[in-house]
Amino acid sequence: MKVSKVMTAKEAVAKFIADGMTVGVGGFFHAISYAITHEIIRQQKRRLTICQPSFNEHADQMIGAGCVDRIVSSYVWMEVFGPLHCFRRAMEKGIPHKIEMEDYTNFAVMARYLAGSLGIPFIPIQSMKGSDMMKYSAWMGEGKAKLIRDPFNSKKEYVAVPALTPDIGYFHVQRADEEGNCQMWGIWGDSPWSMRACKQVIVSCEEIVGRDVIGRDPNRTILPGYKVIAVVPAPFGAHPKHTQGYYDVDRDFIFQYIRESRSPEGWKKFMDNWVYGVEDREGYLKKYIDTYGMKKFLNLKAKDISSSSVNYGF
Amino acid sequence: MALKYNDFTLQELMAVAAARELKDGEKVIIGTGLPLLGAFLAQKTHAPNMVAIYESGAIDCKPLVTPFSVADSVLAPGSAMQGGLMEGLGIVHAGDLDVGFLGGAQIDRYGNLNTHVIGDYRNPQVRFAGSGGSNDIGAGCRRTIVMMLHQKQRFPEKVDFVTTPGYFRGGKERDKMGFSGGGPSVVVSTLGILRFHPKTKEMYLASYHPGVTIEQIKDNTGWDLVVAKDVKETERPDPELIRILREELDPTGVFLKKK
Repeated sequence: MKVSKVMTAKEAVAKFIADGMTVGVGGFFHAISYAITHEIIRQQKRRLTICQPSFNEHADQMIGAGCVDRIVSSYVWMEVFGPLHCFRRAMEKGIPHKIEMEDYTNFAVMARYLAGSLGIPFIPIQSMKGSDMMKYSAWMGEGKAKLIRDPFNSKKEYVAVPALTPDIGYFHVQRADEEGNCQMWGIWGDSPWSMRACKQVIVSCEEIVGRDVIGRDPNRTILPGYKVIAVVPAPFGAHPKHTQGYYDVDRDFIFQYIRESRSPEGWKKFMDNWVYGVEDREGYLKKYIDTYGMKKFLNLKAKDISSSSVNYGF
Repeated sequence: MALKYNDFTLQELMAVAAARELKDGEKVIIGTGLPLLGAFLAQKTHAPNMVAIYESGAIDCKPLVTPFSVADSVLAPGSAMQGGLMEGLGIVHAGDLDVGFLGGAQIDRYGNLNTHVIGDYRNPQVRFAGSGGSNDIGAGCRRTIVMMLHQKQRFPEKVDFVTTPGYFRGGKERDKMGFSGGGPSVVVSTLGILRFHPKTKEMYLASYHPGVTIEQIKDNTGWDLVVAKDVKETERPDPELIRILREELDPTGVFLKKK
């Protein structure tokens, strides 16, 4: 019998995320672990370098809370919902403190993760070539990206980007077992490459299932358990984002965050309500239902559009 | 056709203009808002075999409800394939796709786009989102369709920051880069439709929207804009297309603000 890796978000963040670490955050608009993000904020982690191809409000909240010094990304915004005010305040005015960003493209961050996941030092791409992202860098200097010539046939120039291998990664999935075998469906986001590139991974999940459930559909596994050091049960752990088959995105809540975070005071009030003022994810959910009612909460729940199963027989 | 579809808003005109740019059978990577409506309008009319792709890894999507986001939960059910960013943007990088949609804070004379900053990159007056998938789409798709708010500060002679190269400073400059993608083919702005000269690669005015004058467009452009000899009014949308947009694609008015 293998040792269970199941623990609370509080235990996982306290044990495995240290100040100054480089942290890979998983997801792409869909299935982002707010359960872990809010715990990082509550535990006041500092000087983090956060990495993700595209960041949304979860990055904004960590920036506003002063957890972040550096960002590796291509995008910090919330689509048609609007701009992220803490990010802009930090980049434009140094509030709460100046942060640095290494600007890549979505695919370039993926390429860096791919190299990291394969244990190769860099990967050549065509993205970024000729753009001003090649002219400017932050703390990485010349190590951000370099033009190299194809040593084989084409002799064409490509942009070499270095492998990205964060100290720790965290992401959210539909289900995992106690050993950390993770299954995910719907939009994979930056997975599996991001999490495979991280040295260790914390996973939060909607449900803990038995190893037998994983084994009945192994093609659905996005990350094998040996990469995972902590499994955090967190129903509705991606709220206000969606998790396919479990609940939909909560647009009103995202709009509310963007509206209220326009001023540092408004942001603080929102965070006092939804992050600092709650003990954990269970407390958050209880507060949500108390504030908006059970009807609104249940309206987020996903409809049943189940797939047919396949035969793995031999 | 009922009279109520004879009128149209500027947004509807732009969505129809975007749809006209797409051909049947093309593989198209789409974003949210007007590009999304334009692409699905094309698919419902003249381009039923268009393959709709999202950078979130949804390929050949047939959503039952119009998606609100590039990672909307309505995208996966019904798609031919659902993966992640590597699946969505990997095929862009490989040069597999025909068309991509772009937008930005600024576009210049040669179609270079800026979605990073206004002012100095290191000390920005305004900081925007960054590239996201824009630069990848600009480098990889055979051609791109740009949709822009047409104002003087958004159409400068030269952008403050090149996020997604168009034709650099014109002529053959882009060709030297060896991208798999060919660059922007059209700009659908809030004032008119602009294209690029085949040799100089300079943007020129091809048509002005109903109710807009050429003077107005020149005044809202940061360089001496060339006007095509055969410049004309932008074709007015067919009432049936307006009906599809309002009734089928955006019945709740998420993207097309109700008048």
